[in-house]
Amino acid sequence: MREISKHPVLSFERGKRIKFLFEGSPVTAYQGETVAMALYRNGIDVFSESPKLHRPRGMFCAIGKCSSCMMRVNGVPNVRTCILPVREGMTVERQKGLGEKPSKAVKYPPPVIREEKVAIVGSGPAGLSAAITLAENGVAPLIIEQNPRLGGQLIKQTHKFFGSERENAGKRGIDIASEMIESVKKAGVEFYLNSTAFGFYEGKTLGVFAENKLLKIRSKYFIFATGAAEKMIPFEGNDLPGVFGAGAAQTMMNVYGIKPGENVLMVGAGNVGLIVSYQMLQAGINVKAVIEAAPKIGGYFVHAAKIRRFGVPIYTSTTIKKAIGERRVEKAVIVSLNKKFEEIPGTEKALDVDTICLATGLIPSVSLLAQSGVRMKYVSALGGYVPLRNKYLRTSLPNVYVAGDITGIEEASTAILEGEIAAYSILSDMGKDVEKELSDAISELSELRSGPFGAKIVFGMKEVQYE
Amino acid sequence: MKSKDVVIIGAGITGLSVAYYLSRNGVRNIAVIDKSFPGSGSTGRCGTGIRQQFTTREHIVLMRESVKLWREWETSLPLSVHFRQGGYLWLLETEKEVSNFEKYVKLQNLFGVESRIIDKYEAKQIVPDLDIESIAGASWCPTDGNAYPFDTVEALKLALKNYGTEINAFEEVVGIETRGGAVKSVITNKETYSTNLVIDAAGFGARKIAKMAGIDLPLKLYRHQIAVSEPVKVFLEPMIVKGELYFTQTYRGRIIGGTDLNEPETESLQSTERFLEKYATELLSVMPVLSSLNVMRQWAGFYVVSPDHHPILGGTPVSGFLVATGFSGHGFMLGPVIGKLMAMYVLHGIMYLPEANNLGLDRFKKGKLIEEKAVIG
Ligand SMILES: Cc1cc2nc3c(=O)[nH]c(=O)nc-3n(C[C@H](O)[C@H](O)[C@H](O)COP(=O)(O)OP(=O)(O)OC[C@H]3O[C@@H](n4cnc5c(N)ncnc54)[C@H](O)[C@@H]3O)c2cc1C
Ligand code: FES
Repeated sequence: MREISKHPVLSFERGKRIKFLFEGSPVTAYQGETVAMALYRNGIDVFSESPKLHRPRGMFCAIGKCSSCMMRVNGVPNVRTCILPVREGMTVERQKGLGEKPSKAVKYPPPVIREEKVAIVGSGPAGLSAAITLAENGVAPLIIEQNPRLGGQLIKQTHKFFGSERENAGKRGIDIASEMIESVKKAGVEFYLNSTAFGFYEGKTLGVFAENKLLKIRSKYFIFATGAAEKMIPFEGNDLPGVFGAGAAQTMMNVYGIKPGENVLMVGAGNVGLIVSYQMLQAGINVKAVIEAAPKIGGYFVHAAKIRRFGVPIYTSTTIKKAIGERRVEKAVIVSLNKKFEEIPGTEKALDVDTICLATGLIPSVSLLAQSGVRMKYVSALGGYVPLRNKYLRTSLPNVYVAGDITGIEEASTAILEGEIAAYSILSDMGKDVEKELSDAISELSELRSGPFGAKIVFGMKEVQYE
Repeated sequence: MKSKDVVIIGAGITGLSVAYYLSRNGVRNIAVIDKSFPGSGSTGRCGTGIRQQFTTREHIVLMRESVKLWREWETSLPLSVHFRQGGYLWLLETEKEVSNFEKYVKLQNLFGVESRIIDKYEAKQIVPDLDIESIAGASWCPTDGNAYPFDTVEALKLALKNYGTEINAFEEVVGIETRGGAVKSVITNKETYSTNLVIDAAGFGARKIAKMAGIDLPLKLYRHQIAVSEPVKVFLEPMIVKGELYFTQTYRGRIIGGTDLNEPETESLQSTERFLEKYATELLSVMPVLSSLNVMRQWAGFYVVSPDHHPILGGTPVSGFLVATGFSGHGFMLGPVIGKLMAMYVLHGIMYLPEANNLGLDRFKKGKLIEEKAVIG
């Protein structure tokens, strides 16, 4: 069993036990978890075989962004099982190569058309804070979320936040998330879970597949707070089950109480790599090493010190060369790099690990914006293509706003502030008197970014801001 | 200043194919120029279909030849273009439609195309997932098919590279110099090419390019949209057509198809909700089993439409300025034959298929239009 039984910070409430069929055999799951988590908890790593070479594939991102976990569910091919809540009696099958065509015609109810003032896509810290700000000012938004829970990546962050009082310093992400979710629910904000926005048409209509029905959301304003997806990096065997995004490992451990593995190699010593390593140690997982391609550690010193205290080595100027294994990772080969980031022959070292976590960066999830023709720019400091916007977070489409990691990779405190700014900008556009709140939030954000870690962001921002 | 024997504007299938046949016949001092990347225009946005079921002699003869050349390309180009003869199954809703198509089939047969009218039960045998309730019959041609646009572009690019023919991508033509009614040079944002021979294969940009040489091409741009599904194992090889709807499955497993919204001319290439709704409704009425497949991508491209829905090929009043455009939604399938026709025209001064003589720009002045009744999507 891969269940985490004791945890210093978290306690897991597990739903009632239900059964579903995997490849014809019954599997036990907890109500409220996703199909992928239920399978993984039961020791099933391989979810499909790759289309051409029939290599084993498992989940990678665990938040519905990479399609690595697709399976056939109730006769429907290509279902992302990491965001599909498990139900009693479901049939789940592996796809061997491409999935077979659907078994039968599924009848869907007629589309539901919603006319809204503000629609928010994504319920991470940015989306939630926008929703709260709007609701507090008398405008009820509608939230669309593709995962089964509100809160985005915040619901798995067990570490305490830095920053000032105002930005929740000293609080754990999970607690900030529960408070925000509480406020959203109290304010009566309506939200759809398990609902994927699949198309954004002409800046006016959002197409959403909400469980088994089609929603067409026509809204005066939109806020896109769709976050980011974890980056895969190229190395031999990177598609083996057991190679996860660091965020996926966090979701498994801290949301579902599942150990991603027993012995882990963490790739990347930025804050994400360091924090997730520490959380793994807390969950009783053995972190064999943290490796970092750059010559020095990217994250905060305190985070690095914490994991060093556990005796975990951090190797800088080192990268992963390959993952070895039959059905999942059995070994990882790492190698030292010279100053030009070239491998130094003869320095390869094999580690006995069953899990490799990649904390090698994130890419903003901008595709819906691009579909509607929002102007974009590639800014490496911000993580990839990001929308051009002004300081009020308005994009090149005047009714479309952005907040959070979609604007460039940062962290939860800035996402919360951006959510507020987007919301206040819309309120002000609607004629509400929120000028002071708006300018306060804007100056707070620039203060928050004034430290050394904000420098890169501020630099990147210059590339995409217009007046 | 560079000096070139031929400058081809546009690296879509037309421009690349002309360059390929010229290179194959020994003309190598060519520049193919494109303002974006090869295949970025309608070629990379098209529905992949290749058919001979047309209603005019010109289209039927050209397409019969083109299918022959597609088959040749599959083996002679350095990469596979994934040409597949899965057939075109044209579903007909009424007896009246069936009797019209009987006439077209007769004409097609006359020029050696193996199409025939079949009843709905035979259609169901060919494609078991069809809902045949609302159809009266079908027109079926087993030698029609499709090919993969990006593979085709890659294959042609590699072939040209092997010949040493240059493709200058991300270079925009901004002017054409003529003197005494003849082409002198092509000016781009990066270079000036002195040349006596220009081929305007610029697709959606062809009209603008011709204008630079002082020629007015009677072309209109219509946005057409497409959607592809997530991939599933290949189970559908024919292209299915019904009314304005068409769809097939690529060899990579995606259901690809489109329909027509009868929109006015537009410069926008955004995809719309209205398209997806109409397409999905029509698609599911023909093949209900697809209802649970996700749409993966939608996009739009231009049909470059001439007044009679036939290509405009060959010479113009400006000596040395040739055109190959106006394919009205059929330029991908015509790619091989157009390339060969134009290359032979450059080399020998004649269209080697006599039907192509009816496709000159002068036909609009002379009022000799040809009407095509089978335009889809
Ligand atoms: C939705 C859709 C579905 C279709 N389905 C089919 C089908 O199933 N079968 C079929 O046969 N056909 C189909 N077509 C039609 C087919 O795609 C076109 O007829 C064909 O691609 C035309 O090829 P081309 O090379 O002439 O033009 P294009 O592929 O458009 O190439 C023209 C090139 O010229 C370049 N250019 C333009 N202006 C300049 C300039 N100033 N300087 C330099 N370069 C310039 C462009 O960047 C472009 O790359 C479809 C079209 C659409 C839009
Ligand atoms: S989409 Fe499920 S693992 Fe990434």
